[in-house]
Amino acid sequence: MRRDLGRHIYGYLVSAAFALFLFSPILWTLSTSLKQPTEMFHWPPVIVGEPSAQHYTAIIADKDFSSALINSIVVSCSTIILTMALSIPAAFGISHLQKTAMRRLLTLVLALRAAPAMIYIIPYFLFFRQVHLVDTKIALIIVNTMFAVPLAIWYLSAFFDQVPREIEEAAMIDGASTLQTMTLISIPIAKSGIMATAILIFIGSWNEFLFALTLTRDDAKTAAVAILNFMPFEGTDWGKAAAACVLMLVPIVVFVPFVEKYVAGPTTTGSVKG
Amino acid sequence: MASSRPKVSSALVTPAIAFLCLATVVPIAAVIALSFGDFNIAFPEKTRFIRLYNYARFLSDGRFINAALVTFILVVVPVVLQLLCGLALAIALKENLVGTRWMRASFLLPSIIPPAVGGIVWKLFLIPGVGGLSYLASLFGHNFEADLLGSKTSALISVIIVSIWFGVPIVALLLLSSLDSIPDEIYEAANLDGASWAQAQCHISIPLVLPAMGAVAVFQALEVLGIFPVIFVLTGGGPAGATEPLNFYAFLTAFTYLDLDYSAAILVAFTTTIVGVCFWSIRQISATRVGR
Repeated sequence: MRRDLGRHIYGYLVSAAFALFLFSPILWTLSTSLKQPTEMFHWPPVIVGEPSAQHYTAIIADKDFSSALINSIVVSCSTIILTMALSIPAAFGISHLQKTAMRRLLTLVLALRAAPAMIYIIPYFLFFRQVHLVDTKIALIIVNTMFAVPLAIWYLSAFFDQVPREIEEAAMIDGASTLQTMTLISIPIAKSGIMATAILIFIGSWNEFLFALTLTRDDAKTAAVAILNFMPFEGTDWGKAAAACVLMLVPIVVFVPFVEKYVAGPTTTGSVKG
Repeated sequence: MASSRPKVSSALVTPAIAFLCLATVVPIAAVIALSFGDFNIAFPEKTRFIRLYNYARFLSDGRFINAALVTFILVVVPVVLQLLCGLALAIALKENLVGTRWMRASFLLPSIIPPAVGGIVWKLFLIPGVGGLSYLASLFGHNFEADLLGSKTSALISVIIVSIWFGVPIVALLLLSSLDSIPDEIYEAANLDGASWAQAQCHISIPLVLPAMGAVAVFQALEVLGIFPVIFVLTGGGPAGATEPLNFYAFLTAFTYLDLDYSAAILVAFTTTIVGVCFWSIRQISATRVGR
């Protein structure tokens, strides 16, 4: 089969076509963010003439956007902490239940997450309005945690399943309580899986748009929504919009290899096991 | 020790499950209740029970009917194309050819970027005359200046393409992990029997990933309307409602027209239909699997 020409022709053609399709819009944004204003309307369009960082300095100096970036970071990191505090014990517990109970709970967790996010906007809006938490980071952290917990439980329980039971039992025999076994034995062993889950939670929270749009006004606005301030109305600010997009993409690009490695992992192996 | 374990486990599990139930079941019950009422956000104390009145409004609301149609198109067409394109890409990446390996680590990018950013990225790419698409066309000697977001059909096609762009990487990744789990011996045996690479793909790879494709299709059908932010940025539902699915219409009804009870009715109808169809499909899929 190695000499098969069809394999190479197909592989290279399809990969090239998808590389063009998947990456050209992003690369175009990168190039737009580095352009001089005069190059924006050049015909025929150009990639970059003389790269300039002026759009980046402009958006960093923009108080609204830089504070929105900080909000995004604070909300995402708090969501990770809160979600982990709820999900690590739950996932550890689920992974130590009997098979049928475990499967039932995991299905319930997933079913609770099945409804499209849009159904929650009205009740959450009315609730947070009632308790005066509209336009606060706390509201966003609670909502993001609600969306992250099912995913986190699902992934973490697959990672805890991979911790050798013999080691945990040995600790128990030596007199460790369940809580001690979890914190001192299982969590350190499942560390890389927990890191991967934290990355996924970060991305979910970083990307969240719908609730950041409806539950914030000015103070708690996150970057995913504040980026619309630079929306290109009739040919203005394209460079700033592009630069803001590129900044938003930095953490995502850094995390891509981790996600690629882990996303398919637990879902496939986990489902076989469960 | 063994007997004390389940108790400890349930103590560990309870807070998260309780939080989840509280944060999902209560709001959904509230939306359902709201959809049967006449509710004004300025005078919440005057709320009345009006039975199915909000649902009856669907029938005479042309915009709702249009949005339902758009929803159907924006779920079915992108999911089918995502599966086909995802399979094509997964088969290509499985080969691990020299020079395509970098893609295995990076092709996932469009699926995990913020959807709002994806919307702006595509808006910049599609700017008539000076966008990235015009640049690509100019490389091939074409002068492309059409405003794709300006007319109804091309705007809908653009949204479908962006939706494929968002979904293909994750679909390809899931199918790739399913392809990678097919033992090499099967391909070697086919090779010994004189099968070409293309024949091996048609008779081994594709039949063996078909079951996984069913599950991925259901998963994507639930996810695909998550491109709400893209529509928000790219077309705003326009032109003339051509790219306005039900979730977008419900959003405008609630937060622009402040008609919260009617919006709740739209969302209840939308959610029940889409979740219902997906659960029914999962049952069908698992039934055929057991049948085998």
